[in-house]
Amino acid sequence: MTTTTTAATKSTAPVLQLDQLTKRYRDHVAVDHLTVDVPAGVVAGFIGPNGAGKTTTMAMLLGLVRPTSGHATVLGESIAHPERYLGGVGALVEGPALWPGLTGIENLELIARLSGGETRTVGDVLEQVGLTGRGQDRFGTYSFGMKQRLAIGAALLGEPRLLVLDEPTNGLDPVGITEMRDLIRALTRADRTILVSSHILSELEQVSDWLLVIDHGHLVYSGDAAGFAARASVEIVLGCRRVASLLPLADIVAAHGLEVGREDDVLIVTPDGRDPDELAEQLNRHAASAGIVLSEVHVRRPTLESSYLELLEGVSR
Amino acid sequence: MMRAYHAELTKLLRRKVLLITAIAAVVFGVGASAIVVNAAEPASTLSRGASRALSIEALADAGGGTQIFRSAIAFAGFFVLVVFVGWTAVEFSRGTMRTMLLRQPRRIQLLAGKVVALLTYAAVTLAGIEVVAWLTARLLAPGAGIDTSAWTGLDALGSAVTDYGAVLLWVTGYALLGTALAVVLRSVTVALAVGIAWFGPFEHIVQNSWSGAGRVFPGLGLEAFAAGGTSDVSVAHAVIVTSIYVVVAAVVACTLFARRDVTA
Repeated sequence: MTTTTTAATKSTAPVLQLDQLTKRYRDHVAVDHLTVDVPAGVVAGFIGPNGAGKTTTMAMLLGLVRPTSGHATVLGESIAHPERYLGGVGALVEGPALWPGLTGIENLELIARLSGGETRTVGDVLEQVGLTGRGQDRFGTYSFGMKQRLAIGAALLGEPRLLVLDEPTNGLDPVGITEMRDLIRALTRADRTILVSSHILSELEQVSDWLLVIDHGHLVYSGDAAGFAARASVEIVLGCRRVASLLPLADIVAAHGLEVGREDDVLIVTPDGRDPDELAEQLNRHAASAGIVLSEVHVRRPTLESSYLELLEGVSR
Repeated sequence: MMRAYHAELTKLLRRKVLLITAIAAVVFGVGASAIVVNAAEPASTLSRGASRALSIEALADAGGGTQIFRSAIAFAGFFVLVVFVGWTAVEFSRGTMRTMLLRQPRRIQLLAGKVVALLTYAAVTLAGIEVVAWLTARLLAPGAGIDTSAWTGLDALGSAVTDYGAVLLWVTGYALLGTALAVVLRSVTVALAVGIAWFGPFEHIVQNSWSGAGRVFPGLGLEAFAAGGTSDVSVAHAVIVTSIYVVVAAVVACTLFARRDVTA
């Protein structure tokens, strides 16, 4: 098992500190000795396959589930005493669970009263999540995307320093996913840390500057998002108009001492530490001088998804 | 606890809920009172086993007007149980208990706030039903041959307060047992099925074959208390037995609620 932790890009004290945190359900270990810190002020993407232990970890941090062993702190307080820190935390875990018979405003007022906070901020929160015009409608009449938004609004009451969002894009259509991504971006503030889990990695890639990756309850990566993406290899993609030209093209690439592979009707070249843009230009030139017309030349940079898949592949090996 | 209490009132003090409660209270107060008044007979003609408290002579006493309320409300035991079971169990089924715990992690205070808020609402509703039942009985009693001249005055007021207190205590018993059942089972369907089966058929079937059942079971104890005692069970005994059940149920429910993972 590979565990990588890179240096924090933000030097402030960790908002979350997990130390050997473990949750066992009879024979099944949902979270296995998870040790990780999340610095303050980041948008931390929490990634892992279904059943990796993301929701269980979040539930333990929020005082909903008791750890079997290990401990953790949230905003500097032990998770054994959630009443000491939950006032500074807003959360959406396992979908939007609010009262269907109450209007959007009544739901938020109820949550505000339960938190011991002011109900006059309810209007601001509704505006923040884009539901100002629907505040008087019953929650039960909302679309799923609106329910997610209101639940995030409920999490925002009391100006939390830490937002924990578990799969906020789950069940949303493409438009809803884009709106949710924009909302998460809008919620980002210097004094706020956001921990957001999602299985749609391309969405997390656009909002996260910190990543936690777990698999089977184990931590496999923790660090800044840029560092994670850099782990996967850059590739040069070469395509010809005539498939028959691929073989002589592969010889040209091999002559440069580079590894080459085939993917459908294109060649994939690993730059092997060399500048990929410069190398792509060189290969294009050499192919042209050999009479091979390239129909496709581009550098394929790693995405969060490709890095993630490569990492999990390495872990399972 | 006060935070949970005020939050719970947000759900209860809505126009729609208030309107439905008011209509239900009036319908129940009028209907049940009419049934009790019309069923009243002279003590000499009452069948064996019938409650002497509901004879024409007894109802003509100072407490007669509110005795009708106390007797009428006893029909609603199941309803009270269903309301309290459903009120709490639905929070688990919908996942809203999780939402509340994220804002009020002191679990016992949360549970206490919820129960006390609903009990407060029930207390106000009961007061309304008592007034409606008394007014209805006052209108109908002369037709049934019941003298109502003693129904006003300080003695009558004292009886009204005593009857109200007894009914509130009886509702509290059902409320705590129902809430405990909901917390332990965490499902509306299962909790209602178990609650109704236990307090309905089970206890009464056992009672039919064993006369001592009324001295042992909580539902029968609550029924005996509401009736002002039966030939088998005194009020004091009913209070003691029911209190033991309520305390044990509350301890079990609180312990489980405080310690269990909330995963739904």
